[in-house]
Amino acid sequence: MHDHGSNDGERYRDSHLNKVLLIGNPNVGKSALFGLLTGKYVTVSNYPGTTVEVTYGNAVLNKTRTLVIDTPGVNSLVPMSEDEKVTRDMLLTDRAGVVVQVADAKNLRRGLLITLQLSEMEVPFILDLNMDDEAKSRGIHVDQEKLSRLLGIEVVKTVATRRSGIDKLVKGIQHPRQSIAGVRYDDAIEAGVRDISVLLPGANIARRALALMVLAGDESLKGWLHANLKDHVIAEIEKVRQAVQSKFNNSLGYLINQRRIKKADEILTQVMSRHEAGNRSTIAYHLGRLSMHPVYGLPILLAVLYLVYQFVGVLGAGTAVNFLEKTVFGEYLNPWSTKIVDFIFPVPFMHELLVGDYGLITMALTYSIAIVLPIVGFFFIAFGVLEDSGYLPRLAVMVNKIFKIMGLNGKAVLPMILGLGCDTMATLTTRILETKKERILVTLLLALGVPCSAQLGVVLGMVSGISGFATAIWIGTVVLVMMLVGYLAAKIIPGEPSDFVLELPPIRVPQFTNILVKTMARVQWYLKEAVPLFILGTFILFVGHKIGALEYFQKLTDPLVVGLLGLPSRAAEAFVIGFLRRDYGAAGLFVMAKEGMLDPIQVVVSLVVITLFVPCIANFFVMVKERGMKAALYMVAFIFPFAFAVGGVLNWILRTLKVAL
Amino acid sequence: MSEHKRVETVEGKAGHPALCVLPEIEKEDELLEIMWTLREEGKLTLDQIVQSCTMEGCEDILKGLSKSGWIDVKDQAVELLPKGEKRARELVRRHRLSLRLFYDLFALDGAEAEACKFEHILSPEVTDSVCTLLGHPPNSPDGLPIPRGECCAMFKQEMKPLVAPLADLMPGERAKIVFITPESHSRLDRLSAMGVVPGSVVKLHQKRPAYVIQIGETMVAVDKDITKEIFVKKV
Repeated sequence: MHDHGSNDGERYRDSHLNKVLLIGNPNVGKSALFGLLTGKYVTVSNYPGTTVEVTYGNAVLNKTRTLVIDTPGVNSLVPMSEDEKVTRDMLLTDRAGVVVQVADAKNLRRGLLITLQLSEMEVPFILDLNMDDEAKSRGIHVDQEKLSRLLGIEVVKTVATRRSGIDKLVKGIQHPRQSIAGVRYDDAIEAGVRDISVLLPGANIARRALALMVLAGDESLKGWLHANLKDHVIAEIEKVRQAVQSKFNNSLGYLINQRRIKKADEILTQVMSRHEAGNRSTIAYHLGRLSMHPVYGLPILLAVLYLVYQFVGVLGAGTAVNFLEKTVFGEYLNPWSTKIVDFIFPVPFMHELLVGDYGLITMALTYSIAIVLPIVGFFFIAFGVLEDSGYLPRLAVMVNKIFKIMGLNGKAVLPMILGLGCDTMATLTTRILETKKERILVTLLLALGVPCSAQLGVVLGMVSGISGFATAIWIGTVVLVMMLVGYLAAKIIPGEPSDFVLELPPIRVPQFTNILVKTMARVQWYLKEAVPLFILGTFILFVGHKIGALEYFQKLTDPLVVGLLGLPSRAAEAFVIGFLRRDYGAAGLFVMAKEGMLDPIQVVVSLVVITLFVPCIANFFVMVKERGMKAALYMVAFIFPFAFAVGGVLNWILRTLKVAL
Repeated sequence: MSEHKRVETVEGKAGHPALCVLPEIEKEDELLEIMWTLREEGKLTLDQIVQSCTMEGCEDILKGLSKSGWIDVKDQAVELLPKGEKRARELVRRHRLSLRLFYDLFALDGAEAEACKFEHILSPEVTDSVCTLLGHPPNSPDGLPIPRGECCAMFKQEMKPLVAPLADLMPGERAKIVFITPESHSRLDRLSAMGVVPGSVVKLHQKRPAYVIQIGETMVAVDKDITKEIFVKKV
């Protein structure tokens, strides 16, 4: 999942390559086109906000080496959230290249809203009407030539997922032009634009566009203004803005948008025709409706969960893990490597380091490849299908009310569900949330309670082996704890909750190739990111064991692990490596349970504790990056003691009530 | 046309193309309305009134208003006295409600001229009915606030309004957005970027567990609160 290589950006920024910047509304296929142009895979899904960072990739287009840039989708170039700001800033500060506006052919009205803004910016660009197949199936036809004449720019049609029209798009990139489409606003606004324009510094985009952004009350522009203008000039600009605003009852941003839409509608009536013959009532359409139906939505949700559980929990964590662990590693790889190691390095030290109890091969590789990898792989496939079907935003509709309890709204479901794949990536996705309060809340809840795929698989494999009741207690405790923490944190953290406004993409049949490529990319990421940490963790255990620190540590933590949680002393090992990655810790518990060292209550208690740990080191770094060191440290300082406290309470309740699992 | 000329012109002589020209009492109405509007803009001075007035005999009417205790004039400072305040308020309310009626509901081109006639003839009862019919709109099509009436406070539901909040539609119904009264500016900006603006046709898909609306080919899930602020007319 960690395939948004943002850091390359620094490297590319100053090179004198041709540049192509992909810009457009959310969920119109920018990333799919990016993949086609560059051959570099970025996550493509069917929901708005998949891409939250700028991604760079190289391509040879028209025999020229070209840097292609994928950006987060925007509904307006006056940003409302962090991911939208990233895109606007690209236009504002980066050296100009060719802009390709990607629009949804069936939803041209909203695309034109961006077109008109690009026109105001006076950047040379071309317009790509993507997803033309969907438009056709809905009986929508756009007169490409007429649109091109009206806008004064090249217009091409593509279907990125079927690679159709890409040649024309690439050719079109050679002829970017400034659009001739303009919008005239109210006289007072136009006067404001003139007054502000003269005060603004030069930029990559036209002053008129900048002035309109300022008038629209673009808060995110403040940083840039302060970097480029003296304070008194900014004060002057603000004065003009307020003077113009005082003439209207509605916000200027709204009035400006309203005019743009009016213009877009004027263009639309000339270029778009619609045959009602379009088959609206497809199975997908009805399924989409049912999936958020107040009554049928719930059984559908349960069915989805059941299928995912069967696929990941039973097939992945059961069958596949058994095969890999017992057969592949247990019968072949581990005995072989033991023989080979003993033959090449006939020293006990090397034996222990590589193939002993804490051996890099017998423990680190067995855990990461035989136990976690199949689970992660199966999960990524299931998750990819869910992502591409368009079900996830509908799930957000179903749980909106529950999330309100935690000071959030349904939109926060997206990062939370993404957290089930990988909490680290999901923490980045909190950018799609509108307020700082929500971003902090979701970051905390992700770090606290949402188990990532690797851990989820291990945990489900363990608890489902005991009983459905045990599974329910584990899920129930974690969910309850998250709701409680969310509820309390929402009271403590200042700020307002934001509105629930979420775009629902159409239900689509997932494409096999995209699922395959996406899963491969994610598995690759897992191998690159997680396996080294597994090896590091094993090495720490090995060293700890060698110098006796492990035993000492176990004694030290006995009151906590044995006393409070009622677990065997060795569980401390799992918690130690749990600091590095909690799925690795869970894998340690998995092995202990298999060896019969844990009774059912101990399994559930230990799993609850490890689930409430911070996901992994990488997740911590992303928390620091996104929320700042102070906030990240506060969260961590809360999470670890809290995880043990919850485990202690759960242990006490289960033991006192003598619950039979 | 210069101010002097206008002041000198004797009332009744040569009509000129003002929008609302009629008998004495209606001229008073006109002036009171001008004063109300100027006060909203924060520039209620004698000069401004005279400047904004397109009728003949402006100063005489002003004097008349002052004499009968509608307004108080001291040098440049003009003040609406309580009974003048009430009269102006009702006038402006009738005018702007009429504008909404003609502009939004009947989609008439000459809405302004029609509204001018209407504001003088609407009785208080009819005014409140119009207000209810329109769903107690908070502002006129040009964005100026409509003074609230008693009906707005009581929010009578006896008369089925033609313009109603989107929240009141039944699932599956289509309606045209007439106006939006958002609680916060950012909410309006966000919605307008998705195409939710007056004039757009929306379809309400469902109300629970969250509201789902469709604008063009865009489906959006929103909170109920938001749909209460979008006023629509069924199509």
